[in-house]
Amino acid sequence: MTIVPATPRMDADVLVIGSGAGGATTAAVLAEAGLDVLVVEEGEWIEQGSIVPFSLEQMDRQYRAGGVTVALGLPSIAYTEGRCAGGGTEINSGLYRRPPADVIERWTRDFDIADLDYDEVVSIAGDVEEALDVGVVPGPSTAPSDVLRRGAERLGWQHSEIPRWMKYTNGGSGQRQSMTRTYLPRAMAAGARIATGCRIDSLEMGGRTARSASTTLPDGRRGTIRFGDVFVCGGAIQSPALLQRSRIDGPIGRSLAVHPTVKLAARFADELNVPDDVAVHQVKEFAPELSFGGSASQPGLVALALSDQWATFSKAITDWRRISLYYAAITSEGRGRVRTVRGLHDPIVTYGLTRRDRALLGSGLARLTLLMLEAGAEEVYPSFRGAPIVRAPKDVATMNGSFSASKASVMTVHLCSTIPMGQDRAQCGADSFGRVHGTDNVWVNDASLLPTAPGVNPQGTVMALAIRNARRFAASGRHRG
Amino acid sequence: MAEQFAAPRTTVVTGAGGWLGRGLVHRFLHDPARRHVKLLAHSTAEAHALASLGDVEIVIGDIGRPDTARRLLHGAGTDCDVIHTAGIIHPRLTREFFEINANGTRHLVEAAGGHRVRRLVHVSSNSPFGTNPHANDTFRANEPYNPYYGYGVSKMQAELAVFEAIDRGLDATIVRPPWFYGPFQPPRQTVFFRMIRAGRFPVVGDGEQRRSMVYIDNLVDGVVAAELTPAASGNAYWIADRRPYTVNEIVETVGRALADEGLEVKPNNVHVPAIAGRTAEFGDRIVQRLGRYQQQLHVLGEMNHTIACDISRAMNELGYDPRVELYDGMRASVRWCLDEGVEL
Repeated sequence: MTIVPATPRMDADVLVIGSGAGGATTAAVLAEAGLDVLVVEEGEWIEQGSIVPFSLEQMDRQYRAGGVTVALGLPSIAYTEGRCAGGGTEINSGLYRRPPADVIERWTRDFDIADLDYDEVVSIAGDVEEALDVGVVPGPSTAPSDVLRRGAERLGWQHSEIPRWMKYTNGGSGQRQSMTRTYLPRAMAAGARIATGCRIDSLEMGGRTARSASTTLPDGRRGTIRFGDVFVCGGAIQSPALLQRSRIDGPIGRSLAVHPTVKLAARFADELNVPDDVAVHQVKEFAPELSFGGSASQPGLVALALSDQWATFSKAITDWRRISLYYAAITSEGRGRVRTVRGLHDPIVTYGLTRRDRALLGSGLARLTLLMLEAGAEEVYPSFRGAPIVRAPKDVATMNGSFSASKASVMTVHLCSTIPMGQDRAQCGADSFGRVHGTDNVWVNDASLLPTAPGVNPQGTVMALAIRNARRFAASGRHRG
Repeated sequence: MAEQFAAPRTTVVTGAGGWLGRGLVHRFLHDPARRHVKLLAHSTAEAHALASLGDVEIVIGDIGRPDTARRLLHGAGTDCDVIHTAGIIHPRLTREFFEINANGTRHLVEAAGGHRVRRLVHVSSNSPFGTNPHANDTFRANEPYNPYYGYGVSKMQAELAVFEAIDRGLDATIVRPPWFYGPFQPPRQTVFFRMIRAGRFPVVGDGEQRRSMVYIDNLVDGVVAAELTPAASGNAYWIADRRPYTVNEIVETVGRALADEGLEVKPNNVHVPAIAGRTAEFGDRIVQRLGRYQQQLHVLGEMNHTIACDISRAMNELGYDPRVELYDGMRASVRWCLDEGVEL
């Protein structure tokens, strides 16, 4: 492994900022093409297995701000970002969805993306699936996952088991094939260096060209990295924030897209809680607008889900082994913004739900509640202030009568679209291959590029597009001879 | 097609003088297998009108009163199906919703259980389910209750009463029709035709909201299929035309049907911003909270929304096959109005 200490003066042909689904794949493709690559990651390199998945310790060490980050609005939307080597791939549910054909087609048309061929995307997706051991869980699924399957089956709703990038050894619980186990080792094997604990404060621009990056080292010292090209892969919040701090203009940070979700806790007759894993079934009957799935359900998170209506829900917490958490996610027509404010370390994020979004969140929560009752839930605790305990279909009517999105704990894990890719410069911050419009050597290659939220778990799409763009860059012959 | 019961010796219809009730009576009187048709009318005038249709037995009474259902089923025997269409949709006071729709159904299912009737078909509505969350959403066979104001709450309570009776052993099936159209239409539907003729139907927002509708003959087919399909017991079914229509399509098609029946139709030019629909809905809510009911506010508020349902469960399990679509159905409605001397 070539984890190098961050030093005040570093240089590379290509600097990759961030090591998640976008940065790790970019680094691997470019290093394997023979380029001199330096990856800089703000968080730590934490070996898998040294922290319990979905635990509070993980939130503390691998999430930005301990997992407490919020997009302001009515309601405010809590979101999470990974901040560690491997980024979000170290902490997310590990569910894999291929880039949807209709979404790629719509992006190509609506954002005027040049030369985006779906067959090429699918072929890259095939490589990714192989590299990450994408497959379904061998043997029976967990009890919380089976709740989704059973409820959907009784209602006649479409559902499926979502494959994961997990490697299963006989009888084992599976090893997530995150970036620290796949593309980052590949990048390093091909000569890439990675420096962790190092934050990039800004890119120093000279006209259209970024000359260097200003850094803050783990010990607080400042430094500089010189490079030929830079790939910004900090995710949909950090990437636009860095470009804004670097005074790069354009539609950057103005079109944040997310999949807002509302949650519920459901209590069953039998113990079913699996604290260290999430459900692999999703209900897609109402897709793409609505999808239902399982959420991380360790006791702390169960308590958090019950806290919206603590006065009446709190008694349930002692029963956490019989409780699991579920979400309803929507495709939102709302948009958010990422704005950097001078003097503040982190950007201000805002997000506004539309009237239709609010109606969909209510409908999603009600349909998910019905599914829980069909699956045999004894009590359902919807996560919004003033929510009733739901025990029967008639209680769902009461719940609908008191729901409003403004009272709900809305959260999201899928953040994207802050620097949309395409030739349409009115909407797109980057060109069809990720180069930031108006610059010669600043590239973005992460979830920021997705023109809209894709309606499915986005990691597969992020990786496929990042690999496509990195291959084009490598084939362009920059930094050779 | 699923196995079917034969027609019962006695067929009982509540709300027989209503829109659907008259459609059913018309069908049963043309079916020789229906030996004994027994009707509940709510007034002497209605009873006279029904008696003129053919060989029927009539009981006069208010379904909201506990003894009415017992009187209605007295002597009907067990080879008897009950089709419960009685209900009130546009009352003066909201409490009538509960007296008639909710309590009336409670009384009827109790009496039907006591008489061990063969099957009860309860005619529900889309209203217990509210409106779809967006214009492309479609209600599936199973949906959470989200009642649309007073009517919706009362129809939900009626469904719950039926499901509770099913749990106690009653053989019952629920059909859920959306907005009807077709012969036997009440005056409120005439207003709808007149507004379209005058080019003054208020299209709220962009008019791309979708509405499921059901032609009366399609609905009668669905109700009879629900009555006679043994496996339908305990289930609920959407009964509507094959597909939902957009409001724009409804206005255009009705205009064309009126014109093709020889009536002059002005181009429709009343477009109401979505905010007006929301304001009307808000007004409807306030008025209903005060215990009153205002039809125009209610209808305008609801027009802002999509109410679309998926009928595939009825097609698969009941063999329901809606034969009439909007244009033909609307022409038949217009013709019926003209034949009846209703001024459009």
